[in-house]
Amino acid sequence: MTGLMTDARPVREAENRLEKFNNDRERLLAEVERRVMARRISEARTGGDASLEYVLNDVAYCEIRRLEAAGGNGVDRWRELSRRLLGMTDDDKREELRALVRYYGKDVVGNFDPRVYKFATGIGPSLLGFLFSPTASLRDAGTTLRNLDAHIHADGNLELARACAERGTIVVTPTHSSNMDSPVIGLGLLLAHLPPTTYGAGKNLFTNPFISFFMRNLGAYRVDRRLKFELYKDVLKEYSTVLLEHGYHSLFFPGGTRSRSNMVEKSLKLGLLGTTVTAYKNSVREGAPNKRIYIVPATINYRLVLEAETLIDDYLAETGKSRYIITDDEFSRVGRIVEFFRKILVHEGSVVVRFGRPLDVFGNDITDEGESIDRAGRIVDPASYVRGADGEVTDDDQRDAEYTRALGRRLSAAYPALTVLHSTHLVARALYDAIAANAGTRDIYRLIRAPLGHLEVPIDTVIEHLVRLRARLAENPSWGAEHPLYTDQSATQKVEDAVKGLSTYHTHPIVDRSGQSTLQVKDVKLLYYYQNRTAHIPPESSEQRS
Amino acid sequence: MTSATRADTVGIVGAGTFGTALASVLARAGRRVIIWSRDVSVVEAIQATRRCPRLPAAVLPEPLEATVNPRRLASEARFLVLAVSSKDVRNRSRELGEVIDGSHIVVHAIGALAAPVARVAGDLRPAGAELVNERVSEVMLAGMPTLKVGVLAGPALPADLAEGNYSSMVVASRFDEVVAEARRLLNAPPALRVYGSKDLIGVELASALSGAYTVALGLADGLGMTTGPRAVLVTRAVAEASRLGAAAGAEAKTFAGLAGLGNLLVRASGDRSPDYLLGRRLADGIVTADGGRTEGARAAITGVELAKSLRIRMPVLQGLAAVLTGKVEPREAAQMVGDTVAVEE
Repeated sequence: MTGLMTDARPVREAENRLEKFNNDRERLLAEVERRVMARRISEARTGGDASLEYVLNDVAYCEIRRLEAAGGNGVDRWRELSRRLLGMTDDDKREELRALVRYYGKDVVGNFDPRVYKFATGIGPSLLGFLFSPTASLRDAGTTLRNLDAHIHADGNLELARACAERGTIVVTPTHSSNMDSPVIGLGLLLAHLPPTTYGAGKNLFTNPFISFFMRNLGAYRVDRRLKFELYKDVLKEYSTVLLEHGYHSLFFPGGTRSRSNMVEKSLKLGLLGTTVTAYKNSVREGAPNKRIYIVPATINYRLVLEAETLIDDYLAETGKSRYIITDDEFSRVGRIVEFFRKILVHEGSVVVRFGRPLDVFGNDITDEGESIDRAGRIVDPASYVRGADGEVTDDDQRDAEYTRALGRRLSAAYPALTVLHSTHLVARALYDAIAANAGTRDIYRLIRAPLGHLEVPIDTVIEHLVRLRARLAENPSWGAEHPLYTDQSATQKVEDAVKGLSTYHTHPIVDRSGQSTLQVKDVKLLYYYQNRTAHIPPESSEQRS
Repeated sequence: MTSATRADTVGIVGAGTFGTALASVLARAGRRVIIWSRDVSVVEAIQATRRCPRLPAAVLPEPLEATVNPRRLASEARFLVLAVSSKDVRNRSRELGEVIDGSHIVVHAIGALAAPVARVAGDLRPAGAELVNERVSEVMLAGMPTLKVGVLAGPALPADLAEGNYSSMVVASRFDEVVAEARRLLNAPPALRVYGSKDLIGVELASALSGAYTVALGLADGLGMTTGPRAVLVTRAVAEASRLGAAAGAEAKTFAGLAGLGNLLVRASGDRSPDYLLGRRLADGIVTADGGRTEGARAAITGVELAKSLRIRMPVLQGLAAVLTGKVEPREAAQMVGDTVAVEE
């Protein structure tokens, strides 16, 4: 594509701005501290919930509760603060607040080690190659790893995303299925010749030493979801805002946590995504309205998901919301990570990272030149969204939150079309449709209790369902697409390929052959999990079935 | 033009009866108002006589101005009221979209769904395609760059506004700023009081559905329904509209407020509403099923489709739609509705 913003030269690979991050780090932290302090002290003048006493008490109360529930280690420091609070002068409170803001800032802040980046993008792939091929020698690993892109496939609107990364700051917003998403999207960016991004990763992920090492040194900052008090959220959001203002490309998972059901996310939590509006507004205020921020929707599409068993159990137990952080799942076991590489990634194209057309922070589409356009296709000045009647930038948190919700609606509308369906998803859907027809219900709770006879499906029937599903998918690009490397597979090949994957990776086979001509569903829950990737595709009408 | 004046100016799109009446109330309260009309003769008449030919009863004192130039409207007012017919809303939104930006606030005062358009996947299709019914705010968002849109609705009749009689309306938007600005700029007590709501979907649906129920009340009156059953009909209408609204993402209470019950009571109280008159004619057997469709009639048919998709039973609306589509006779529908109501509550 030509004419992408930088007319004079084709965009091959955007600059890696993270290389200067370590030099910037203290300055960024100081800026976070300055802003949070200024805001808190200003708000404290209104008293009530905004008073410094209340803010500090909120921190102490939340920390005491959290630490007591976890066994009590470290709780004394907060009890002591709680006791001192009533006798503190205003100056004392300000100093305590400053110390806390600095502490949480340092806890959050990331790192970027160019040596680790070079390793991860150079030698690292060789290591990964070895892991992909359990029978290979280390000497062979290099060869395998030069084919990294055969295992992880990155495609989509890459040139425009690269152009946006050169012109402004990009925020990659992928769907979230697995704890492997962070390293996988990192490799996806590399393969797409997009620059590395900084990203907020759950602190629980840092418990895995292998992943932790890379995350710590590749721009990840830590998000401790156990800390519920406003001051921590304030520091975290301000850090993200400052990073964006300073041009650091970022990555957020707008779904918040991993999709428990494996459905493509519809209702997004947005979280840090709101900092994009704030960062852009601040740039406009500083006289830099052309310092654009672009949101790049992306989907991460796995043939098989590492933690599928834990996730679907959690979803079906309807505890997904309360058990916000699952720590005792497959991800915390190093052996399972190795299995992931050897059994999941070994398959060619086993993960597809698909990047969509970027949006502006208000959810508007953009032209190839990076200009915002409204829904009628007119170029619109994005700075106008944050200006008042007199042309000055105005602060309005509710307005900005609404803009972020609008952006979230655009993202959730974009995801289905960017979904890449592997054989495992398509065949799981075909099988699910077939057993649902046998049992007369699509309700998962009834199907779990269905008699074995209902879970047996002739392969010919699966193929019939699959053929119709593929035809419907081809007619409706808004539902997503088949894996680009396997569109030529026949229905029979697709079934064989899927059964191979679904019967070998997880602890128990999801589906198995029963004789020559029948498939037996062994694990309805996991079948449901994989078919859920197609849940946005409506069931067939009776006319379509006939 | 100073920036403060721009912030304090109300721009009105359309010089129809409601737009003119609203302009009159605001101008008489000292608010700066600018009306955009595409009709040169109307603009000239307003400037020359301080009256609009479409509502001569309304006085339009200075500093009210009228213009045929939408750019002037957009540059002199950030807060705009779209007061055109539902048939005109798509074109006007697009025209307005050419001259406004993301900072503008636009609320519409159209108590109906937008006139349907045939389209497939975002492209207009000339004929034979399925008609798409949308709320007016959806049409506005598709045609304008600003996201700050809202709706102004309620039982404020142009005649009452023009005469300065006590009127109330509700403004709803997802944006607090839109509600706050609408209340600041449109409140003109005692003639007009504006309440606020965040329930954009609810106010739009309630306002549109009240048109449908106005047809039903016209029909009931035409069939000679007495006061008691009529009251039952009104309360059942509000109840089922609330159920539909709640299922569509609105707040149930909105349908018992100004935009719902308030609108219904005022529209069905006289003989000036086209919806009410359609109901009377249906009862008299004058209008065939396909003829004489009003905005209320269209809202009834759309509402039934929406109810079907959301699996909500709406006996009154379904009965009305059955009459409008020629499936049952008016008396038969009234009997069916009465029977259903009797068993449901």
